[in-house]
Amino acid sequence: MKAFNAKYVLVLLAIVAIAALMACAPAAVQPTAAPPTTAAQPTAATAATAAPAGFQPPTDALGVVTIGPNDPVHVGYMFVTSGADGALGIDSRRGVEIAIDDKGGKLLDHQVKFDGQDSGCSAEGGQAAAAKLAADNTFTVVLGSSCSSEIRAGGPTLSKAGFTVISPSNTAPDLTDPAKRFPGYFRTAHNDKVQGAVAAKFALEKLGVKTAATIHDGSPYAEGLANAFAENFEKGGGKITSREAVSPTDTDFKPVLTKIAADKPEMIFYPIFVAAGSLITKQAKEVPGLGDSVKLMAADGTFSPDFYKGAGDAAVGMFQSSPDFSAFTGGYAKFLEEHQAKFGEKPVSAFHAHAYDAFNIFAAALEKVAVKGPDGTLYIGQQALRDAVAATKDFPGLTGTLTCDPNGDCADPHIAVYQVGEDNVKNAVVPSQPFWKPGQ
Amino acid sequence: MLKRRRSKLEITDIFIYAFGIFIIAIILYGSFETLRQGKYSASQWADLFVFGITIGGIYALIALGYTMVYGILQMINFAHSEVFMAGPLTAFFLADALAKSGLLATNPAISLLLIFAFSMIVSTTVAVLLERIAYRPLRHAPRLVPLITAIGASFFLQYAFRGLFGTQFKVYPEIPALEGVVTIGVVRLTYTQILVMISAAALMIGLQAFVQRTRTGKAMRAVAESRESAALMGINVDSIILTTFVLGGALAGAAGVLYALVFTQVSFAMGFIPGIKAFTAAVLGGIGIIPGAMLGGLFLGIVESVGPTLFLDGLNIAAPYQLKDAIAFTLLVLVLIFRPSGIMGGQTQEKKA
Amino acid sequence: MPILELKDVHSYYGHIHALKGISLTVEQGEIVTLIGANGAGKTSTLRTISGLLHPREGQVFLEGEQINGLPAHIIVSKGIGQSPEGRQIFSRLSVMENLEMGAYSRKDKEGIKSDLDHVFRLFPRLKERRSQTGGTLSGGEQQMLAMGRALMTRPRVLLLDEPSMGLAPVLVETIFEIIRDLNKEGVTILLVEQNAAKALSIANRGYVMETGRIVLSDEASKLQESELVRKAYLGED
Repeated sequence: MKAFNAKYVLVLLAIVAIAALMACAPAAVQPTAAPPTTAAQPTAATAATAAPAGFQPPTDALGVVTIGPNDPVHVGYMFVTSGADGALGIDSRRGVEIAIDDKGGKLLDHQVKFDGQDSGCSAEGGQAAAAKLAADNTFTVVLGSSCSSEIRAGGPTLSKAGFTVISPSNTAPDLTDPAKRFPGYFRTAHNDKVQGAVAAKFALEKLGVKTAATIHDGSPYAEGLANAFAENFEKGGGKITSREAVSPTDTDFKPVLTKIAADKPEMIFYPIFVAAGSLITKQAKEVPGLGDSVKLMAADGTFSPDFYKGAGDAAVGMFQSSPDFSAFTGGYAKFLEEHQAKFGEKPVSAFHAHAYDAFNIFAAALEKVAVKGPDGTLYIGQQALRDAVAATKDFPGLTGTLTCDPNGDCADPHIAVYQVGEDNVKNAVVPSQPFWKPGQ
Repeated sequence: MLKRRRSKLEITDIFIYAFGIFIIAIILYGSFETLRQGKYSASQWADLFVFGITIGGIYALIALGYTMVYGILQMINFAHSEVFMAGPLTAFFLADALAKSGLLATNPAISLLLIFAFSMIVSTTVAVLLERIAYRPLRHAPRLVPLITAIGASFFLQYAFRGLFGTQFKVYPEIPALEGVVTIGVVRLTYTQILVMISAAALMIGLQAFVQRTRTGKAMRAVAESRESAALMGINVDSIILTTFVLGGALAGAAGVLYALVFTQVSFAMGFIPGIKAFTAAVLGGIGIIPGAMLGGLFLGIVESVGPTLFLDGLNIAAPYQLKDAIAFTLLVLVLIFRPSGIMGGQTQEKKA
Repeated sequence: MPILELKDVHSYYGHIHALKGISLTVEQGEIVTLIGANGAGKTSTLRTISGLLHPREGQVFLEGEQINGLPAHIIVSKGIGQSPEGRQIFSRLSVMENLEMGAYSRKDKEGIKSDLDHVFRLFPRLKERRSQTGGTLSGGEQQMLAMGRALMTRPRVLLLDEPSMGLAPVLVETIFEIIRDLNKEGVTILLVEQNAAKALSIANRGYVMETGRIVLSDEASKLQESELVRKAYLGED
C-alpha cells in the first residue's frame, strides 16, 4: 500500500486555505473580458450592398446592430431562473414578457424575440451567462441581471460587447458608483442606499430599537445593504452590536447567532438570499440567547415564496423591506390581471414591475434611435441606444416616474416594510400590503 | 519518524514548522483573550459545543464512507457527496407523504424509521451502482483514472437528481415529537440534537463492532491490507469491496436524514459542502482509518462551531464566522504539519514506510 | 492421476512473457521443488496455479479438474493453499484473526477448530502471541503465521513461496523441519526456494527453471548430482 502523500496534501490544502481567504475578501475579482464581438461594422461596402442609393445607414462609435427586414428585435435576459433564488429571476422574466405582450409582441414592426441565460445568482454564473450573451451579436439589449454579484462579474463583458444593460433588480449601491459603474449600465431597481435608509428608519422609529446586529453573505448586494443600514442606523442614534458575515452555502448558523446573542441586540438585520436567509430565520428561534424578543428583519432578497417555505412558522411576525407595491401607478392593477391570466398566479417576487419598466425604457429609446432603411432593415447604433436610455426623463412607468441620473440609476424608489403573516407562510405567497412606509 | 526528519531538516521544513508554531501562538493568544474578556457565558460555550458535536457527528458518518473506500481501494470516492445527497432528497417525498397523512405526528418513531430506511436504501443503491458501473471496470487502471471517473460520476449524479427533482430546495416537514428541549446544567439540547448524537454514536459503534468482530468485517480489514493475500485466503475481494460501498452508502443515507432533520432544507446541491468537509475530516483523522474518520468529523464540527468565536473574537477580528472554513483548513494544515498522516495515522504510517 | 498438473502454461505480466510453456506434475503426498534464479518464473508459476495470474495459454488441473481461469478465492476453496512470497501476513490483524482469515471460505466449525489446534501444535509461538497484531511479530514468526494461515484453508496442495527468505539459519532449519513434518502428515507440497540445497534435501522431485522455461526435471537426489545444478544453484565449481 502506497503511503498517502502528506506533502502533496499539505500544498493542496495551503492553496485551498488561501483560496478560502481570498473568497472572503470583499474585493471583487476583475474578470478578463471576452474580446468584444462588435456587431456589423457599417463599412462603405456593406452600406452599399445593404441599402439602395441615397440612404445612408448610421454610424456609431460602438457599432451598429443591423436587423434584416424579416428578422426580430432580439432582447436578451440574464436572470437567475433556477435554484433557491429562482423566483427572483422568473418574476422579472414574466414582467418583461407581459411588457412585450402589451406592445403586441412587436417593436417598430419587427417581432420581439426574448431569450437569455440563467445566471444562477452567483459571480461565476453571471460571468458564464455574460460570455454566452456577448458571443451573440444579434442582441440589442440585455435585461438583467437579477443579483448584483452576477452583473459585477459579467457586466464588463457585456459592456465591452457594446450592449446596453438594464437591470430590474440589482440594488447594490456601488454598481452605480461613478468610479465603478461600467458604461451602458442602468437599473430600474432602487439603490440600496435608499433601502438601507428606510430599513434603519423603520427600526429606529417604528420598532423603537436602539441596538441591532447585521449579517451579510459576502455578496455585493447583501454587504452593500447591510452597510447602508448600519450607517443610517448609527447616524440615527442606534448602535450596531456586531457586523457578522457568513457564506451563502453555509447551513449551520447557530454558532454565529450564538455569538450575536452575546451582545444582546434588540434586532437582527440580515439582507441576504433565500436559502441562507430562511435557515437563519429558523435557527434564530433555536438559539437560546436570542429568544422570541429579538426582532428579525430581512430585505428584498428574501421576498420570495421559497423563503416562506424554507423558514416555516419561524418567519411569522418578522419584517422585510421591499419595493412598495402600493406606490405603484395605476397601470399596476392591469398588470396584475394580465399576470394572473398569463401565469395563473400572483407575482412570485418583488421586481416584476421593475422588469416591465426596464423593457419599456429600452423600447422607448429604441424607437428614438433606430433608423429604418427603405427595405425595412433596422439600424441601431449601440452608443446611440445607450445615450437614449441615459436621457430617459419623466418616463411614466409602473413603479413610478423614471428619470435616469448620470450614473445609471433610473428608479423612482419607493421602499416599504412588510410583515410576514401566517397566510404568507401557509400559502407561500409574498405579502402584497405594506406594513409601514416612510413618512407614516 | 521524527528522528529521521530531523536528520535532514530542510529550509522548507523549518518554514513549515515555524508557520505551525506561529498559528498555534495565534490560536492560544486569541483563545486566552476571548476567555479573559469573558463576554460569553458558560451556557453559550456549551451551546457552541453542542452545535459542533451535532454537525460533527454528521460529518463523521459521511467521512466513514470516504475513509473505508480509501482504505480498501486507495481511491478517493469524490461521488460520495452525491451518495449522501441521494438518500435524503428522495426520502423527502416519503417524509412529505407521511406528514400529509398525519402518520408523522401520530407515529413519529415508525415514520422516522421508515424515512431512515428509505434514505439508506436509496443511498446504498447509488453507492452500489457507482461501484459496479463506474469503478469496478477500472479496478486495474492507473489510480488517477477512477479518481477522475469519480468526479465525473459526481457531476452526473448531481445533474441527474437536478433533472429529476428540480433545482429548488425542498423543506422537510416539522416533526412535532422532536420539538422539545432537555437542560442538563448549562447544557441545553433539543430533541433533534439528541437524536442526531445518539444515532450517530449508535451507527459508529455498530460499524466499529462490525469491522472488528464479524467475519466480513475482518475480511474488510484484510482486503484493505492486501487484496492478493485476501484472495489467497478465499476471500471474494470484489464482494468485500461491494460490502464496503454498501456500508458507506447506508451511513451516508442515515447522515443525510440527520442532516435533513437539523437543517430541514434538501436539494440536489446539498452534498457538495458537507462532502468536502467530511473528506477533510477523513484526512484530518488519518484517511483509511475508521476511528480517525469519527474523530476527525467531530473535531472539524467543533472547530467550525467554537473556533471562530474562541480563536478570533478576542483578537477583535470582525465577522469571524465568514472565516470558519479558513480556520478549519488551517487547522487541517496544522495537524498535517505535526502528524503528516492524520491524528490517528501515526503508528500505521510508520509501519508502512 | 497427478493431484496437480500444468500443461504448456503461458503467462504474461502485461506484455512481458513470464512463463513460456510450463508443464509440471505433482503427485499426491510428494514434496516437489521449483528452483532457479531470481526472475526465472518460479513465483509466476505459483501465482498462475493459485489464480492470481491467469494463463493466456495452457491448462492447470487439480485432480483432473481444470481450474485455470477461476478466480483466486474459488481456487482456494477447491484445495490450493499458498503462503506467498514475502509472507504478506495482515500486519494490522491479530495472529488469531490472520488464522481465522485462512478459514474464511470454510463452514465446518469443528474442522476449523481442530485445524487451529493443529497449527498451534506445529507453531507453539503463534499460540503465545495469538492476540498480538501480525506486524509486531519477528520475521520467523511471520513466516510461521503465513504457513499456518495457508494451512487453515485445509489445502490439498500447499504452495510455499520462499519460506526461508530473510531468516536466520537456525530458523531456516526449523521451517524446513516443519515442512517435512507436514508432508509426513500427508500434505502435498510445491516448494519454491532459492536455497536449492535445502529444498532438494527434503524434496522428492525437482524442476529447474530458467527465464520462464523448465530446463531440467528429475528426482531430487539426481538433481543434487547434476552438473548444471551443482554449478548454478549449489554454488559448487
